[in-house]
Amino acid sequence: MASVSIRICGANGDGVESSGALVIKVAAKNGLHVFGYRGYQSIIRGGHVWYQIRIGDSELRSHGEGIDILIALNQDSINYQKSHLNQNAIVIYDPSKVKVDSLDSSRFVFVPIPLLDIAIAASGDPIMRNVVAIGAALKFVGIDIDAFNEVIRGMFGRKGEAVVNNNIKAAAEGYNYNGVKTAYNIKGDGKQRYALDGNTALSIGAYAAGCKFYAAYPMTPASTILQWFASHENKGVMPKQTEDEIAAINMTIGAASAGARAMCGTSGGGFSLMVEGLGLAGMLETPIVVVNSQRTGPSTGLPTKTEQADLLFVMHASQGEFPRIVVAPRSVADSFKVTAEAFNLADRYQCPVIILMDLYMSEHIESVERLDVDEVVIDRGKVVTENTGGGRFKRYLITDDGISQRAYPGSAGLEYVAGSDEHDEFGDLISDAFAGTDESIEVRKKMNAKRMRKMDTMLKNEKVFVPHVDADGGFYIVTWGSTTSPALEALEILKSKGQSVGLISFDYILPMDSRKTSDMLKGKKLIDVELNGTGQLAKVIRMNTGIGIEKSILKSDGEAFTGEEIANGIAEIIKSW
Amino acid sequence: MADVINPGTGATPKQSFASSIKGIWCPGCGDWSVQAALTKALQGIGIERERIVIVSGIGCSSAMPHPFSTYGIHSLHGRLIPVATGVKLANDDLTVIGTGGDGDGYGIGVGHLIHAARRNINITYIVMDNEIYGLTTGQASPTSLLGAKTKSTPFGSIENPENPVGIAIAAGATYVARAFSGDPVHMAELIKNGILHKGFSIIDVFSPCVTFNNLNTYDWFRQRVYKLEQAGHDPSSMQKALERSLEAEQTGWSKIPIGLFYKTEKPAYSALDMTLQKGPLVNQPMPTKQQVMDILEEYK
Ligand SMILES: Cc1ncc(C[n+]2csc(CCOP(=O)(O)OP(=O)(O)O)c2C)c(N)n1
Ligand code: SF4
Ligand SMILES: [Mg+2]
Repeated sequence: MASVSIRICGANGDGVESSGALVIKVAAKNGLHVFGYRGYQSIIRGGHVWYQIRIGDSELRSHGEGIDILIALNQDSINYQKSHLNQNAIVIYDPSKVKVDSLDSSRFVFVPIPLLDIAIAASGDPIMRNVVAIGAALKFVGIDIDAFNEVIRGMFGRKGEAVVNNNIKAAAEGYNYNGVKTAYNIKGDGKQRYALDGNTALSIGAYAAGCKFYAAYPMTPASTILQWFASHENKGVMPKQTEDEIAAINMTIGAASAGARAMCGTSGGGFSLMVEGLGLAGMLETPIVVVNSQRTGPSTGLPTKTEQADLLFVMHASQGEFPRIVVAPRSVADSFKVTAEAFNLADRYQCPVIILMDLYMSEHIESVERLDVDEVVIDRGKVVTENTGGGRFKRYLITDDGISQRAYPGSAGLEYVAGSDEHDEFGDLISDAFAGTDESIEVRKKMNAKRMRKMDTMLKNEKVFVPHVDADGGFYIVTWGSTTSPALEALEILKSKGQSVGLISFDYILPMDSRKTSDMLKGKKLIDVELNGTGQLAKVIRMNTGIGIEKSILKSDGEAFTGEEIANGIAEIIKSW
Repeated sequence: MADVINPGTGATPKQSFASSIKGIWCPGCGDWSVQAALTKALQGIGIERERIVIVSGIGCSSAMPHPFSTYGIHSLHGRLIPVATGVKLANDDLTVIGTGGDGDGYGIGVGHLIHAARRNINITYIVMDNEIYGLTTGQASPTSLLGAKTKSTPFGSIENPENPVGIAIAAGATYVARAFSGDPVHMAELIKNGILHKGFSIIDVFSPCVTFNNLNTYDWFRQRVYKLEQAGHDPSSMQKALERSLEAEQTGWSKIPIGLFYKTEKPAYSALDMTLQKGPLVNQPMPTKQQVMDILEEYK
């Protein structure tokens, strides 16, 4: 496998993000594999932002270790990125703006290009300097300039010939600049791919599942889901920006009670506000999907950085005991798939389903060949529209599988009141006048057991609640969600060094099938790899199976793991095993 | 109940709307009158009961959905407005009525009130304002009067009472009224017109708590309330409505107006929502595979 990592750096407002998106599009359209990730801060102007785009000839699992080509739009780009430059890295910069004397000239290839002058001469627009630099970078990577031109025509065609030509001219100047030559020559396979981030894939998954209602209060890194729904409002979905996250989840419960497939989304802080509503959905047995895209906590934490530290929180959030499902997608394509399925699970088991994203999963872009659109089925579960039995409808009928029939308002003869107080099969409260009578104690016992029985039914009827054995080996990495990708990359690195390491990864974490999980883990040499400081998945595993994982690689510095980082850690642990 | 219901053709006017559950309120509680007035209002309109959803929060007053044979959601303390909003957004064909207390709606949930009002979402919100926390056995509420002695203010409240009518008007509610449990006929009329109103309607009801509020009793209210309809009030004027909303406090609670404070016509939320122009959300088709593939093309 060959790959190259390009990092575009500058300040907020320099067009770093749009430049990154452009390179990703060009590569994905040309049969190359791409993985993009953005580093930014919680300010709107200034600061130091970067976009790393890794381009390869086969599937990529992370944005790569170090920088092979740096586009330095300002002096900070050199100062802050120095330590990330790989040996022989190519540094593209404008000598009138950026000084490179602090870099060791024997280790790097300097490519000074008067980006600004060229941009102004070619188009009159200083922001075109990025495009000049991109042209040069494409040449170094070995991507044909026609590919760039085609993407530009697609993107800016509507804006008129002049915009298209300016871009094409500026890129050509960089591409053909004296001394710029192909250094990598990574060849694509001719297949056009989608370039998607996790939140986009999740949103499309929800759309495909017939999710009609999405409520949210803006919060990084979940806001782009709200924006996705908002920009697709003309496609038959209803986005609602609410006054707070409490309103978001309660509106979602209202919409779901009325029969719409409904979802809300936020990050940890907003999820904290949603907690009471989560229990309401559990008690009313209302199917809702809740997205928590984790960022570095606690509290406001690092709003633009990633972490996987909300697992135990979302598993246990809200008072009392009620059934719920927790799933953390393992890739961008997976974000589509598990979201589409989340709505079926919610409807089948009439309970909240929590999708645990994180900033890295929400925001990094992958090239994806296909999404499982054909495999999406819509199963609304036990819904009735007519009272066939006669008599008063028992919305909360006690059943063997714990699931009762559900009716939407509007259906004559099925009227009922759903109550957050404990209730009987009709929905009538047992809390007020009758609590504590023998009869009520019996009802309470049965209703609580009925609800919790749904967890057993899930485990019995669904195949998804077992971890994936992605690879076998003498040792096994155990991980979950977004860390699966860099873990897979680590396996390749270790393999190339003659180490055979396996991987067991979790996406559906709750409910956990104790027996199957235990059978899978028992007797293996396990190493827990998680992006948090306390090994939360390992705790869940021990709680469910009694198996303790003694060795771990944990980090909570705000940055995602790279494959190399995990591989080094594993090699170290194995050495001293 | 042996009502004859013909779905789609309207309910019989005599439909009782009573379920097999009896209200749980103390004898004499003002909330009984609200149940009676809401029943009368629904009977007067003649909507089929399956198209009605009564959404409540938590509190004595929030037990309102149970004695009704309609659909209902008895939700969380302070959250009936977002739940009701969600129901209405998902199915615009439904008549959605919120019922709750002053603690529920003016204390813990007051933020939602302002946003529902400014959205002008087409729901009707009845607040049983007893100036006390009934269910939790008698603590001060946001509308408890200055000096009111309650379990949580045994030396008298030092906080000024909220002006819910004024807040609702200022926030953009398009139908704002106040009723009194001592006059259920008047209340029924205000509720009925609120339900018929297209937009956010709120009816603040003085609904005495006979068990924990020995200050704001039936007699106390009877001596002080007067009807705006008989005072020549012009409910189309926001200015005048706001002035009337201040009157109670300005007169040291000696003159308290009830009746219709404010009513104006503005497009209801559903008239402006893009998606709802194609009909109720729940009736809209699931996407086809082709539609999903078309969206994916944006990312190539
Ligand atoms: C989050 C939360 N906090 C507190 C409570 C306890 N609680 C139940 S009802 C209530 C106040 C009830 O007062 P009000 O809304 O005025 O209704 P009333 O009983 O007077 O009709 C409180 C504080 C609760 N159920 N939930
Ligand atoms: S405690 Fe007060 S509010 Fe509650 S039911 Fe009794 S009288 Fe009504
Ligand atoms: Mg009260």
